[in-house]
Amino acid sequence: MAGIGFELRKLARRDDLMGVVASLTHASIVSTGPWIMTVLALGAIDIIGLRWLDQEEMKVFRIIVIYNFCFSLVAAGPLMMIATRYLADRIYEKKVTETPGMLVGGFIVLLIQIPIAGWFYGVFAALDPAVRIAAIANYFVISFIWYVGIFLSALRDFRSITIGFAVGMSSAFAVAVLLGERWGAAGMLTGFSLGLALLLSIQVARVLVEFPYGFVRPFAFLRAARKYWELTLGALFYNLAVWVDKWIMWSLPDRDEIAAVMVSYPLYDATMFMAYMTVIPAIAVFVLSVETDFFERYQNFYKDVSGHAPWRKLGEDHQEILASLSRGLRNVVVFQGCITAFVVLSAPTLLSMIGVNLIGLGMFRLGVIGSFFHVLMAFVSVILAYFDLRRKLLFVYFLLFVTNTVFSLISVQMGFAYYGYGFFLSALVTLVVAYALAAWSVGRLPYLTFIANNPSVKG
Amino acid sequence: MAAPKPVAEVCMILEGTYPYVAGGVSTWTHDLIRGSKDTTFHIVSLLAKDEPRTMRYEMPKNVTGISHIFIQDFRKGPRLMFGVERLMREVEPVLMGIHRRGGLAEVKAMLDMLAPYKNKIGRRQLLDSPAAWQQLVRMYQKTLRGGSFIHYFWTWRALIGGLYSVLLSELPLCKVYHAVSTGYAGLFGARAALQTGRPLLLTEHGIYTNERRVEIAMADWLFEVGSSSLSVETGEKGLKDLWVDSFLTYSRACYEAAAGIITLFEGNQRLQIADGADRSKMWVIPNGVDVERFTKIKRDPGVRPPTVALIGRVVPIKDVKTFIRAADILRRSVPDVKCLMIGPYEEDKAYYEECKQMVEGLGLGGTFEFTGRKKLDDVLGSIDVNVLTSISEGQPLVVLEAGAAGVPTVATNVGSCSELIYGREDESPRLGPGGEVTALSNPRATAAAIRRLITDQDWHDKCAHAIRERCKVYYDQRSVEQAYGDLYTQLSEVPDQAPEIPEPVIEKEAG
Repeated sequence: MAGIGFELRKLARRDDLMGVVASLTHASIVSTGPWIMTVLALGAIDIIGLRWLDQEEMKVFRIIVIYNFCFSLVAAGPLMMIATRYLADRIYEKKVTETPGMLVGGFIVLLIQIPIAGWFYGVFAALDPAVRIAAIANYFVISFIWYVGIFLSALRDFRSITIGFAVGMSSAFAVAVLLGERWGAAGMLTGFSLGLALLLSIQVARVLVEFPYGFVRPFAFLRAARKYWELTLGALFYNLAVWVDKWIMWSLPDRDEIAAVMVSYPLYDATMFMAYMTVIPAIAVFVLSVETDFFERYQNFYKDVSGHAPWRKLGEDHQEILASLSRGLRNVVVFQGCITAFVVLSAPTLLSMIGVNLIGLGMFRLGVIGSFFHVLMAFVSVILAYFDLRRKLLFVYFLLFVTNTVFSLISVQMGFAYYGYGFFLSALVTLVVAYALAAWSVGRLPYLTFIANNPSVKG
Repeated sequence: MAAPKPVAEVCMILEGTYPYVAGGVSTWTHDLIRGSKDTTFHIVSLLAKDEPRTMRYEMPKNVTGISHIFIQDFRKGPRLMFGVERLMREVEPVLMGIHRRGGLAEVKAMLDMLAPYKNKIGRRQLLDSPAAWQQLVRMYQKTLRGGSFIHYFWTWRALIGGLYSVLLSELPLCKVYHAVSTGYAGLFGARAALQTGRPLLLTEHGIYTNERRVEIAMADWLFEVGSSSLSVETGEKGLKDLWVDSFLTYSRACYEAAAGIITLFEGNQRLQIADGADRSKMWVIPNGVDVERFTKIKRDPGVRPPTVALIGRVVPIKDVKTFIRAADILRRSVPDVKCLMIGPYEEDKAYYEECKQMVEGLGLGGTFEFTGRKKLDDVLGSIDVNVLTSISEGQPLVVLEAGAAGVPTVATNVGSCSELIYGREDESPRLGPGGEVTALSNPRATAAAIRRLITDQDWHDKCAHAIRERCKVYYDQRSVEQAYGDLYTQLSEVPDQAPEIPEPVIEKEAG
């Protein structure tokens, strides 16, 4: 019989579109979780610690915690991204037996940093021996917490995540204060680490309960780095971008030097951490609206695509997604906008209430408005991640990194009055670009889903 | 400018067969090319996609080249191209026509519209661009409205992609184009005739659109989901119709473009006419057999029981069970009859087991035998009647092979069996019956016809003589090759002339 046995069946039976559904990203928590934690921890140290603890010891503790948060995030960010996507793909395939192995494998990969951390705290910085050890331990506890967080967010059990963090962090601070009174910086660090270790154990237990399988193929997930290279790189740029303005400030001549080599610019750092804290309400509102309102509509669209819905239905789903997004963003903007405006206007009062030097008032106001833009930019990025627009996401994070670097460098050149402008402008520019990209892409979601972003359509 | 030189005299256009897949059509093609020693051939092989493949036939020396077209894959095209939006809107009504039983007019319109872009345009523009997406959505709305969009999406891509890959592929210049099926091969042939003005010859072994219809009708998955919202209330067409109608378009375009439409037997011509072929261009050129080889086989003069054989694969389509039942009936009046099932039984093990159990159950142990594969030259001499109980056939060569060896046939009325056994309507002088044609799945009729041949020596001799003569006169491989050779010579001298475009038969859509 002539004729190509041309795989009719294969062709018309396909309903595989979906890199996208596979990646139901729970992105909002992944990208904002560590950020909230950092902000709360450092803000709390500044507000609480400075009152009750010895100032010199406190300074050492504070700088070590800042360094540990900042560098562990930069280092672990790409690994977290790889693991997030690999796990999401496995969950989509309903093959999650590798999960416990992956958890341990990630810890082992993180431990590769022992020589660097060991050299830095053990040799390079001038610290007490007990502090050296406590600092190294603290670095890895924090790294592990970042990493285990992605498993928790994959479970989509945000309630227990939130409660876990609240309990863990408060106990961390309580024990840190308790031990710090007696043993200084080493005690504070150890206490802080113990509290975090408690949190970590609870989280690990939670993951293992949820995925009761053997520890197999611990490093298999690293393969995802190749497939998701844009995201891996993007995670690196994002974390660099979040910190680069601080690093630039740390290079100024009037910086603080602790333990000989640990530089910082406490005024800027503290001001910014406090400014960040003002947008936590926005995160709460956004997570709520994304995880309920938007996520349901998002799933409907993809469910209808692979569920053989007619075009009319897909069009309706698309409109619902757009409506839900603009509703969510509007809510966030209005709600957070009011808070930000209030904070900006009453900044002098607020700062004096918590006993912060008013010299940083301008910086604080820029930080508050910049944080507002930054958090909106982060939300738009989450949307890009939801629709698996990896290249665009990479571009946004890269842009954030570049603008924050360039603008911050320029602002420090221009003098004290301009400190903070770099962060502020960078967040604004990146927000505008990210929003334009997201609006354009989501506006033509069906084309994107079926063709441009469809791995089954090669081209 | 000097006219470009043809790369070969005949361009053979084959879909999914020669030289990569062994089978009836491939062997036919191979024999035809080898037999036409003085003609040069270029082969266009249409394949699903570019996969590793092995040649199943050694290329004859007179094949000067081979080109491939991959239906599911064509060039990407440039990243940036202007005017795509307009082109997509222009071609849309034509594509709709192709999806709704169009013909050569639609194919020509497509070629004309693509002509300005044909050297660069590719998948990026025609399938993957936002403009192509808009086109797809509009076509969906005009075609299905309510059906599964994702199914339409993949169907559209498969159909439109196949169309473009055939229309945009390299076209080797030859003096005569010879398509060995309709479908994509026929579409390519129609395109070649339009663009070169050279004559197109079509040989259809089976009827492509029919085979597709069966394939598509059996494809339940096309309707698996969402059928409730589909067509029932609205009377709209479904996806299955889209497939069938597109292939009908290609067949019709090929029929309209062809200078000659050849079938193996008259029965198939009715189906071609139903699909839009013009009777005045239709001929029958049957498959031939090596008559000389088979006439050399000597009848076994020894004393042996009357022997009856079904020669073929043990598969359901051959309806071996009817043969077994016929043997059971036959045995009652001819107790010493031997019934042989000659041929391989590995293909459908389950069916073979069923047949074996049936033989045992009927207590046919002494009468019926599965011999496995045998060389025809060794067995034909001691067979008295050749039997064919198939429920479907094209032109079964075994009737001719046995016939040339002087063995008459009892066959069911399928394919060209009736023509082979009784002669074609235009046979002159009439050579007489070469056996008997019986109803399908009717063991009683089969047994009765066999009994007459093995009990009435006079009748047997008459039939044996008639079928042998018919083979010599009408079914000698050499004269078949000669017929094609003559056609090639005649057509290659025809001056360039593009085929006439008949008025489009489809209704223009409103608006």
